[in-house]
Amino acid sequence: MIKVRIPTPLRPVTKGQGEVETKAGSVVEMIESLNSTYPGIKDRLCDEMGELRRFVNIYVNEEDIRFLTGKDTPLKDGDEVSIVPAIAGG
Amino acid sequence: MKREAQDGEKTIVADLVIPKTILDDIIAHAKELTPYECCGLLAGTNGVVSHLYRTKNIVAMEGAQNLSSFDSAKAAHLERLSPAERAEIAFVMDMQDFSSAKKDMRNNGLDLQIVYHSHPHDPARPSVTDIKIATDYEEIWPKINLPIPAYLIVSLMSPEPDVKTYWIKSGCVTPADVLIR
Repeated sequence: MIKVRIPTPLRPVTKGQGEVETKAGSVVEMIESLNSTYPGIKDRLCDEMGELRRFVNIYVNEEDIRFLTGKDTPLKDGDEVSIVPAIAGG
Repeated sequence: MKREAQDGEKTIVADLVIPKTILDDIIAHAKELTPYECCGLLAGTNGVVSHLYRTKNIVAMEGAQNLSSFDSAKAAHLERLSPAERAEIAFVMDMQDFSSAKKDMRNNGLDLQIVYHSHPHDPARPSVTDIKIATDYEEIWPKINLPIPAYLIVSLMSPEPDVKTYWIKSGCVTPADVLIR
């Protein structure tokens, strides 16, 4: 199983859960898998072309997927994924 | 929270040291973007800032307010505004720029020291939104291998820019002791 940390702004989509588990062989599969359990999460993370939105980062075992192989980054059992919202303020 | 900053062989009693040239660049960034908010990152070692990374404010992008940690009232307020108006009262950092900066820091053996942004119309103190988001982010920094940074705010509400730096921890704001040299 893959452990996925959900940031505060996405928790309404995951029924309040800060951490969820899913099965997936890559980041793109993980997003599809999460979206089937928590509909709408894919739209929050990806644009119409399926690319990661510029106001979110995804880290696999503390490594930024933008410097791995993006959404095709492979995942294996026991991996920990963090979805990181943009730094922001008012 | 207090740490010693190294200046060559001297130990300086300050939380952070910012070179005047970098401070001037932050103010220049804020002035270039006013009336919109600017944002960026300062990196260095042992509390001494040596690198500035300008990042784009993408608050006007479709959906940006929904995935940032704005509270629901602020997100709803932002949705009522035009994209340009949003950028006058908020920032969302482009995380592609953030990733590039983070990679450069790692390649150069630097740590993130400060997150900066501007307040074109308001004082140089953290807004309720700034405090909430910084507090939410406390649990994120260690997961992405970065230390909890200080927060620097440039206010342009008066003719003379006002720059102040703070620590924001567990919802509490305390001024950071910064040496400009």
